[in-house]
Amino acid sequence: MSYFLQQLINGLSLGSVYALMSVGYSLVYSIMNFSNFAHGGVIMIGAYIGYFCLTLLGVPFFTAFILSGIGSGILAVSMERIVYRPLRKRNAPFLYFIISAMGASIFLENIVIASPIGPTFRSYPAVFSTSPIMIGGIALGRIDLLMFIISTLSLIGLMYIIEKTKIGLSIRATSYSIKASTLMGVNVDKVIFIIFLLGGLLAGLAGMLFGMKYIVYPQIGNITTKSFIAAVFGGLGSLPGAIIGSILLGLIETMTSGYLSSEYRDLIAFVLLIGVLIFKPTGLMGKTTEDKA
Amino acid sequence: MSWGYLSGILILTGINLMTVLGLSLLTGFTGLFSFGHAGFMAIGAYTAAMITLKFNILPESMFQLQFYLALIAGGLVAMMFSLIIGKLTLNLKGDYFCIATLGFGEAIRLILDNVDYFGGARGLSSITTQGTTTLTNVVIINIIAVTVLVFIIKSRHGRNMVAIREEELAAQTIGIDVFKYKMISFAISAFYAGIAGGLMAHYFGYIQPIMFKLVKSTELTIIVIFGGLGSVSGSVVGTILLTFLPELLRSFANWRLVLYGAAVIIIMISRPQGLMGGKEFSIKGIVRFFAKRRKEEVKS
Amino acid sequence: MSKRFLTLISVVLIFTMIVTACSNGTGAPEEETIKIGWIGSLTGDQAVWGTCESNTVKMLIEEVNASGGILGKKVEGIYYDTKGDAAEAVNATKRLASQDKVVAIIGPNASGQAIAISSVLEEYKVPDISTVGTNPKVTVNDDGSVKEFNFRVCFIDPYQGAVAAGYAYDRLGLRNAAVLYDVASDYSQGFTEFFEKTFIEKGGKIVAKEGFKEGDVEFKPQLSKIKDANPDMILMPYYYKEVALSANQARELGIDAVLIGGDGWPSEQLMTMAADAIEGSYIVNHLDFNDPEVKPLQDKYNAKYNLPMELNGYMAHDAFLLLKAAIEDAGVADPVKIAESLTKVTVQGVTGTIKLSPEDHNPIGKEAAIVRVESADYIFQEKYGLQ
Repeated sequence: MSYFLQQLINGLSLGSVYALMSVGYSLVYSIMNFSNFAHGGVIMIGAYIGYFCLTLLGVPFFTAFILSGIGSGILAVSMERIVYRPLRKRNAPFLYFIISAMGASIFLENIVIASPIGPTFRSYPAVFSTSPIMIGGIALGRIDLLMFIISTLSLIGLMYIIEKTKIGLSIRATSYSIKASTLMGVNVDKVIFIIFLLGGLLAGLAGMLFGMKYIVYPQIGNITTKSFIAAVFGGLGSLPGAIIGSILLGLIETMTSGYLSSEYRDLIAFVLLIGVLIFKPTGLMGKTTEDKA
Repeated sequence: MSWGYLSGILILTGINLMTVLGLSLLTGFTGLFSFGHAGFMAIGAYTAAMITLKFNILPESMFQLQFYLALIAGGLVAMMFSLIIGKLTLNLKGDYFCIATLGFGEAIRLILDNVDYFGGARGLSSITTQGTTTLTNVVIINIIAVTVLVFIIKSRHGRNMVAIREEELAAQTIGIDVFKYKMISFAISAFYAGIAGGLMAHYFGYIQPIMFKLVKSTELTIIVIFGGLGSVSGSVVGTILLTFLPELLRSFANWRLVLYGAAVIIIMISRPQGLMGGKEFSIKGIVRFFAKRRKEEVKS
Repeated sequence: MSKRFLTLISVVLIFTMIVTACSNGTGAPEEETIKIGWIGSLTGDQAVWGTCESNTVKMLIEEVNASGGILGKKVEGIYYDTKGDAAEAVNATKRLASQDKVVAIIGPNASGQAIAISSVLEEYKVPDISTVGTNPKVTVNDDGSVKEFNFRVCFIDPYQGAVAAGYAYDRLGLRNAAVLYDVASDYSQGFTEFFEKTFIEKGGKIVAKEGFKEGDVEFKPQLSKIKDANPDMILMPYYYKEVALSANQARELGIDAVLIGGDGWPSEQLMTMAADAIEGSYIVNHLDFNDPEVKPLQDKYNAKYNLPMELNGYMAHDAFLLLKAAIEDAGVADPVKIAESLTKVTVQGVTGTIKLSPEDHNPIGKEAAIVRVESADYIFQEKYGLQ
């Protein structure tokens, strides 16, 4: 029984990593209806910003945290300005967006590698000890606990903004129809700015937490493919869906590793993705948009 | 530049070109984007390699023939997979289709990682390289491929595919069986990719699943876009450029992918029609190009 | 109009680049220098090691040139990055052999890459000395015949695995072993295979065997399974990045079994990331880093590059020494003659006496140095060979 519980904790912890990352995807998808593959790059930059804040600038932990969130937010917004806005203004087919997103993600990953920062991985200075908190026979890592708390708080914060504030209302409205919202007086450009900012902020936090739990390296963007799968699984465009999808994915991966074989872990994620796309493309809680003929 | 080295790059270009040609049909002419074609290359590569490694049914002297059969088998098996995958996913909205191909591409790679019969994560090695993939082979196969492709495109079928790319709903309205043509396009692109994979396996002499990562699929799609959607000569020129340049700029290897990424974004924003702009090489076109240059020189 | 202009400019640019690239290849006068190639990871996970190797080779070439070169000729080093990828290694080797016309190649450090380049070496008849490629298949074919142009200066995985098993069972008295290994790595697979064989032969039990893939960062599911099997030791036969991650995560799960590893471990970064987690672990190494005999080399390297010396640097040093001796023995800078001489010469390297056997091109009689990690340093225990 304790083995099962241990794997459960492992799965939840992994799921919370995916959750923070996938929310950004869903947010962008809900409004702009395309998958922002460059999100992974933003997460990676967040991890690096946090790292350099802690090592070069020597700021205390929480300051670094906030700085990495802000830095990533700025990056995300700039990307929107430079890459997506021109396409949006020209009503480009959505596939152009995806290709540009892919291009942006390749660009980000490799510019870090080519720059003096280089491809070698870095590890965060140990802020927390590795000795776990033992509950019964089950080990709960300190960083895992922190991640869980921060993820939950940020997600609650985000949901609050979306559900209870005026700006959240405009976000929700725009996600239904950009045209209608514009007609109702919503400044769509501003809304898109906000969602990229929010998504970027969360990405920064996610990146830094990821870097602390594991290591910092330019290919972090690749891990986010998993969180993307989680977002699809939960339903692209639905925030609660992204969160639930992520937790479930984390659990499924861990249980597969724990009870079947660790080798199938990645495969299960993709099989899940394909299964969802074939049988229920809108995912668990996604919104269905029909194209009117 | 030593011939050995140059011929190596030309062979690599040829291999890339096979897949790019297939992708050109799928993406450039039918308007479907795939991020999983490295998966079809993998299928072709492993099938062809298994045949020449383990199923040598023909006598030693007919090894060349065995090789060609292996290539074709690789293409056919890849095509079979595409038929299954296509049946399941071509009904999806464009965006989801992309994601599904990404999923399948990765899934194929991961399955190969885990099946020990195919060498698992360490792959297959000691594949015969002598007398199999040679520059002559690759060039001839590519010429055949281009010819067939142009033939398809200029035919009624090709025009139907372009119609689907332009406006799917309208195409359906006038009676084009959209699903069927998407399938045909997908299947042919998988066939080409499969053959490319087989050639690749017999060039390197060994294959590992990690050689068919998502990045490879993305790079191939980028080449098609760079060359220009809807242009076969664009795909050819694009592949040649984008296979040679990294070799020439070896010292700037790190920056190659940075430039790729930036180039993609710039192309999408300013010149989404790519290098050739959807047009093909023709004698008239080249003459006109130089005539215009001279006119501009006179003006300025 | 500007677009056409741009197109023309870019075509001209490309032409110029092609021409320059061509002329670079054939410009240097052929007979005046001895060209030695080096390949390895200058980017990617093992960049730290690759950089150390190429730096060491550069340093040694400079020294040699300053004292008259080899056979009276200056030595020129040509360095290519394999990015840790076997296909790139093949490309780089082709370029070195056919384009740059090197007489020999040093590196790569990874078995996977070293195995991949065998057919290229055979085609162009250029010898290669792998620094730390420990998989048996690097120098020997599946049928037992030796690969004419592959050599190495390090011990091999059967040896390494057996030493690890022998030391664990006989010296440390451990009986229940768990193994976590990288399924995608020739090195890790080989090491594991031979460890298991020897450990079981001696009477030990493998209580758990879990795999992961290169690039994984999350090991807790596998480690939880291992913890459940209650081992006295965990074998971690892979590279330091994953070692650091898995060691940390193992301790986070409350596992306190002894950790044992091989030559994939030693690295400054390992200490930075996981010194606490690996305290008390044992490593099967090629040499003792604190041996006074290797200090001069360490100091020279430190002074020149302001970086700590890594394991690979020592191996590259010995590979270069061996190559130099072979070239001098052959009397002429001819790749085939050099290949023949490589098994005839004996050199005294920093990692021991090196004489390659003609049967398998591996160094004869090299013993492993067992080191124990204590307070972020590698404390030499003993020289341990196969019993």
